[in-house]
Amino acid sequence: MSQEIFPPRIRRWLFTTNHKEVGILYLVTSLFFFIAAGLLALTMRTQLSVPNNNVLNEGLYNQFVTVHGLLMIFWVLSPFAFGFANYIIPLQIGARDLAFPRLNAMSYWFYLFSGVAIIMSFIFGAPDLGWTLYSPQTSFQFTPTIGLNVGAAALILITVSITMSSVNFLVTMFKMRAPGMKLRNMPVFPWAILVTIFMMLYAFPSFLAAVLLLYVDRSFGTFYFSSIQGGALLWDNVFWFFGHPEVYIVLFPAIGLIADVIPTFTRRPLYGSKYVIASMIAAAIISFIVWGHHMFVTGIGLTSTKLYTVTTIAVSLPFDVMVIAMIETLIKARIKLKAAALFALGAIALFVIGGITGVYLASVALDHALRGTYFVVAHFHYIMVGGSIMGLIAGLYYWFPKITGRMYNEAIARIHFVISFIGFNILYFPMFLLLDMPRRIQTYAPDTGWGSLNSLATLGGFIFGGAQILLFLNLFLSQRRGPPSGPNPWDGWTLEWSLPSPVPGHDFDTIPTIAEDGTYRFGNGSSYPNGSARLDDSKVGNGLAYSHLEGMSPWPIVMAFAAFLFFLGLSIGQPTSPTPVSYKPFWPLIADGSILGVISLYGYSRERFSVHEETRVESWPFREVPNVKLGIWTFLGAEVIFFGVLIGAYFFVRTNSATWPAVGELFSIRNGFAMTLVLLTSSLTAIMALASAKIGSRRGLIAGLLATFGLGASFLYIKATEWIELGTHGVFSVANGLPATSYFITTGTHGVHVVAGMCMTVYLLANTLKGRYTKGDHDAIEHFGLYWHFVDIVWVFLFPLFYLI
Amino acid sequence: MAVVSNTQVIFDNLYGIFTDLAIVVGVIVFALMGYLIIRYRATRSSSDPEDTPRLGRIPTSRGHGRNVLITVTLSTFLLAVLIITSFAAVDTLFPNNPPNATWCYGIAAYNQTQVAGQSCPRLDVTGHQFYWVFRYPNNHTDLNLFRVPANSTVVLDVTSADVFHDFGIIQFKIKTDAIQGRTNTIWFIPYKTGNYTIQCFELCGTGHVGMIATLDVMPVPDFQLWYTSAK
Repeated sequence: MSQEIFPPRIRRWLFTTNHKEVGILYLVTSLFFFIAAGLLALTMRTQLSVPNNNVLNEGLYNQFVTVHGLLMIFWVLSPFAFGFANYIIPLQIGARDLAFPRLNAMSYWFYLFSGVAIIMSFIFGAPDLGWTLYSPQTSFQFTPTIGLNVGAAALILITVSITMSSVNFLVTMFKMRAPGMKLRNMPVFPWAILVTIFMMLYAFPSFLAAVLLLYVDRSFGTFYFSSIQGGALLWDNVFWFFGHPEVYIVLFPAIGLIADVIPTFTRRPLYGSKYVIASMIAAAIISFIVWGHHMFVTGIGLTSTKLYTVTTIAVSLPFDVMVIAMIETLIKARIKLKAAALFALGAIALFVIGGITGVYLASVALDHALRGTYFVVAHFHYIMVGGSIMGLIAGLYYWFPKITGRMYNEAIARIHFVISFIGFNILYFPMFLLLDMPRRIQTYAPDTGWGSLNSLATLGGFIFGGAQILLFLNLFLSQRRGPPSGPNPWDGWTLEWSLPSPVPGHDFDTIPTIAEDGTYRFGNGSSYPNGSARLDDSKVGNGLAYSHLEGMSPWPIVMAFAAFLFFLGLSIGQPTSPTPVSYKPFWPLIADGSILGVISLYGYSRERFSVHEETRVESWPFREVPNVKLGIWTFLGAEVIFFGVLIGAYFFVRTNSATWPAVGELFSIRNGFAMTLVLLTSSLTAIMALASAKIGSRRGLIAGLLATFGLGASFLYIKATEWIELGTHGVFSVANGLPATSYFITTGTHGVHVVAGMCMTVYLLANTLKGRYTKGDHDAIEHFGLYWHFVDIVWVFLFPLFYLI
Repeated sequence: MAVVSNTQVIFDNLYGIFTDLAIVVGVIVFALMGYLIIRYRATRSSSDPEDTPRLGRIPTSRGHGRNVLITVTLSTFLLAVLIITSFAAVDTLFPNNPPNATWCYGIAAYNQTQVAGQSCPRLDVTGHQFYWVFRYPNNHTDLNLFRVPANSTVVLDVTSADVFHDFGIIQFKIKTDAIQGRTNTIWFIPYKTGNYTIQCFELCGTGHVGMIATLDVMPVPDFQLWYTSAK
């Protein structure tokens, strides 16, 4: 095996699929990106410390501002939280691992390589227009640098990573909880992750669609976001539909974590925990109808702005409940101010300030003055650094003993908190007072009077940044030399504390069960955790002795690397002329990536990979739904949003365009009708294939699959002739640019889905010929059918949209 | 603080209301938090409460729906005040139909407009990478210098010739996005003569930092003299 070429210690980290090791990889990588993005920020603060400064020129400043934002939001906040989620959640819900361990490893490697890509973009001139990537500045005309392509590729890769990860967690948390562990019995942290995943599932497809359209605009010269007929507002809508839920996506894990840390250190149960969870769900739902507050001054009209003012102000109510619940928890408590507790309480205090100032920005009247100023910067840093990062640092101190088996130095950790908290406020509070200063400017004139507050903020930045050295030193030295922590140093109640520290590779000797009265039953039937009873101090700090080497796979990293090469090749090509249409991708990398991708896909599907199958508690409505099927359903849910955005974008450009070709002028109704007929028939043949598999008829199954493949190919043949015909008639002219753009993109994306489905039929056919699927093992045929019907249904929507109206 | 325009007055009043309430709420929350942390800090002699969550069982639930309801009701009341005051402000600042522009009153060419009490033409603002162009109805254009008469209503149509910009008059506390293919309208009444800063508030490329213009609020006679002689 190829994995033998690496020594075990390295192999373990490259090929692991163990949720704990993947979790550690996530944590370490996200902290690395945290340092990188933090250094960018400190450089910017240095530049802004005095007026008319020029240590960082404007071009570079704009790149720093953009990459700092992108890194912190996509590559630090969520992965930091999901590092904990990976390590802790299976332990807290009593699962052996995540539902799809190899997929989990793949999520991580996609994340890592996407981060490498975004940092690599500096080589080519990194994106320099703010993390919001406003249109039409992203068009090739205004930003011809390759760096933006690389940045967009990085965003596509991390979206893939996040989608895989959310499907994985969703299935795990619905299907693999310990017997008797009802959803409502889960601690708040898993709840927060669950709510976060749902937001991810519905927000990220919108972002993926937007970035894909942008990518195609830039590479092939289409007109979605560069058209003056609403391109800028189309981006605004699609981006912020994702962007606002994203704010809560990066915040909720920290809130959940704080809600679990506080009861442990105050020695009292969380006040009104069910209301906290209900509030999270409410806030998550409302987060999808507030995006207009990012567009208050784009001219969306008085009524809309008022509506968004109300929804946005309303979203503060659930947060109100969460904060009050945490504060009421302190009543009659016994508060131990350990570092984790200090950071948790500090995060709440800072979050309160961030929340109150958020209400200012929710008011459309005030937003006309505050939009694009440092008041906004101060507000969201109080939320994202004050709430999220401080909360996640609380988690770092809280779970450090569990993950390493050793204690950190408490005194240094407390000093770290005090300096961080003071530095934080010196850094960000002056920005509230800089409410006239535009954000994202490289410098300012002395007569603006902004100098002294900026100097103060820079001072605070260095205090806050410097304090983090204490964190890293403390943790780095302690994981080597700290005193052994024992299984439960904080006397916590959640399940992870019942296991030895560090947690052995296989987690639980036997999965615990939870009785009706809320007591845990551990392996020996007693309510005494067997893990801690057999803690062996000699093994502390030596996770290797426990790690399950049998669960390793080289394919996740190879596949992620293949995708990385592929997108890099697509991105770093040289434009051969100023017009984007003649843009040439870098074929060698694309070829390498594709070949490697095919190899790894083959390896992945051929690999004998066994994970522990345990008895699993399954509750309605998922009782009868196996893991894979639930995974596919959630994946299709995300696909619905994805195509929804594509179709929505089509409607948007169509209603904003002054002219649109008449029915039948560009697209032949006859062709469209033929394709519809062919595709609908293929749904029937897919059903026939499944029916044959169920009755064990191999011949029928082969016929059904062959027919499905043939009909898919016919569909693509008609489509291709139509594309070629339209292409040769110069459809990409200015007059019908938008109709052509929306047609090619939407049907093209659908076509890719058809091709993917045909690949699946080939795979299924090959296995059928080897005699599979006809002996009651027809799950794969059924899963393929689900996917294929979905693709057909999408076409049923596309046909009338493009051909009939 | 100096009064410079109607928009600034509206902003300052509203900002004042928000800040007063924010301070009250903030002080209550932080005082409560601080008090509870000090009051219930663990000491050597204190022992864990009876309902301390322990490993081995789901913690007992705690807390009343009643308290949550009280909190939410109180907050809703406070937020309603903020919504109502905000709506009043925005109805004035950004009505669907802006008030009659009066900047041209007193200029001979617009005598009829003034007598009939009609609106003066709107002034056009166009953002370019990286400068502002101001166009008057007599087709006079100015780069990065915008002259208006004091104490009269000015209505602007703002757009962009290229990328996404944002037109903001800093001291007037007012701004709107400048987007290619769209026109956004804002209006204001300058109260005090002098120079004010117009700046782009949306990162629009390398050069954004210098996308600054001057708003020159002139005494009415001076403006009229300048406008009639401007070509």
